[in-house]
Amino acid sequence: MYGGGNVFEATTFDNLAQEDPAQLAQFEARIARGEKIEPTDWMPQLYRKQLIRMIEQHAHSEIIGALPEGAWITRAPGFRRKLAQMAKVQDEVGHAQLLYSAAETLGKTREQMLTDLINGKSKYSNVFNYPAVTWADSNTISWLIDAGAIVNQLANAKGSYGPYCRALDRICAEEAFHLKYGHDAVVHLATGSPIQRSMIQAALNRWWPPIMTFFGPPDKMSTHTETLMRWKVKMATNDACRQQFLDMYVPKIWELGLTIPDPNLHKNEHGEWEYTEPDWAEFKRVINGDGPCNAERLAVRRTSEERGAWVRQALLAPKATYVKPLA
Amino acid sequence: MTQNSSSIDPRVNRLHLETDDHPTPKPALDQLETFEVFHQKKVGAAYTYVGPVHAANEEIAFLFAKEQYSRRAICSGMWVAKTQHVFLSGYADDATSIYDNLPTLSEVPNAAEQSYEIFHLKKRGKAHQHAGSVTARSPLHALYVAKEVLQTSPAVNVWVIASAHVLRQEQDQDMWATTPDKKYREAMAYRVQDKIEKFKAEQKA
Repeated sequence: MYGGGNVFEATTFDNLAQEDPAQLAQFEARIARGEKIEPTDWMPQLYRKQLIRMIEQHAHSEIIGALPEGAWITRAPGFRRKLAQMAKVQDEVGHAQLLYSAAETLGKTREQMLTDLINGKSKYSNVFNYPAVTWADSNTISWLIDAGAIVNQLANAKGSYGPYCRALDRICAEEAFHLKYGHDAVVHLATGSPIQRSMIQAALNRWWPPIMTFFGPPDKMSTHTETLMRWKVKMATNDACRQQFLDMYVPKIWELGLTIPDPNLHKNEHGEWEYTEPDWAEFKRVINGDGPCNAERLAVRRTSEERGAWVRQALLAPKATYVKPLA
Repeated sequence: MTQNSSSIDPRVNRLHLETDDHPTPKPALDQLETFEVFHQKKVGAAYTYVGPVHAANEEIAFLFAKEQYSRRAICSGMWVAKTQHVFLSGYADDATSIYDNLPTLSEVPNAAEQSYEIFHLKKRGKAHQHAGSVTARSPLHALYVAKEVLQTSPAVNVWVIASAHVLRQEQDQDMWATTPDKKYREAMAYRVQDKIEKFKAEQKA
């Protein structure tokens, strides 16, 4: 699911003057020709660092993103929904595995990434710092957060780094089920009894503000951003992704007779969506640790890592050596 | 949103997790070794690279690989090899062949002959596909033999794995037999539009 890799501030390393001009020219020419970069190719430090950061945050978002919906598996109404919810959560954990491997090909080990996650150094998509307080919240995540993630991921799948593209192709194929499953669950409540309708409306009211921050604050267009776009690391601006999401999903929400809790939301005469600017101060506060669920999300992850460690140690072959994945 | 004092997550409430302890950094190899996985979509099709897994040994790698790469898509066979057992050629530009630019093999090595599996990458960003097997005296020698017998079209990158290092699961195909029955995992199974149309018709009436 969950993109949001380009939500967070970029790396500050920007000294292209240190790079070998001939190799840099060759690298840029390859990308301009539409060829993918593979792990053993020469690449600028900025490219490597920014991709590690993006892919790692994407992986963390998948594995933390499995938690709010995972909490609803035991309470999912009916056996079929339980199976589907489990399958979706398993997919998210699988996506994290794929993405961690893609980031590893760039030289950061999985141990380093997981350490940075559980000690709070690395970020993940901020929306998962909010609780899914009802089944309808879980459905809203399944539909609309996944929808946002798909906008992000389809863009990134056209990027230049081979291993990330391969992982995203597989992820996007699996997400098609998540989107339909989530949509179906929301439609079921929205077209149901008055109580069901009010339940999904309340969930939408709770989740709309976090959803509007999902793609991150408007980009400051800098040489840095332009470089990353030329290298096909960043494929679209945060605002462009947000506009695309609104274009695709606002009509689908409205056709169910649900209201979106933003009186200013409308399409202007240029065909662009206007909306109340999300509360970026809250976004910043929550992403830096002070949200309703930050502590418990990391505690769940940390406990799994700690309590599983003895099994991995017992299984580890004495002569084991780490080799980073190939592609 | 408001601060929630009691968590929705049963893992938090039942396990009484500490939320403020300081984790120690993970030691090297906490996440075990890496393996590369190839799958076969249907009997007779070429084995294709799907991605890596981390595991303690080949058997566990296969179990993880089965969950990771064949729980959703149809599959009739799977191969797993340790990453460190894969010998890589360099990467060529798209539309050129790495076979035209192999490292020098000054003489055929004196080692015993053995079988090697050869995987070709046709285009950067795509996945390696099994091209066939060759008998050779070293991985580099295997590239030279493959150049003679398997090079039917350009390959931008080639992987060579000694056949003895490939764990194959081809006998127990029935483990994948029920995958297509799990319709709740398929987008096609959710007929959302029908429900929306019905709802809209009811609203009008």
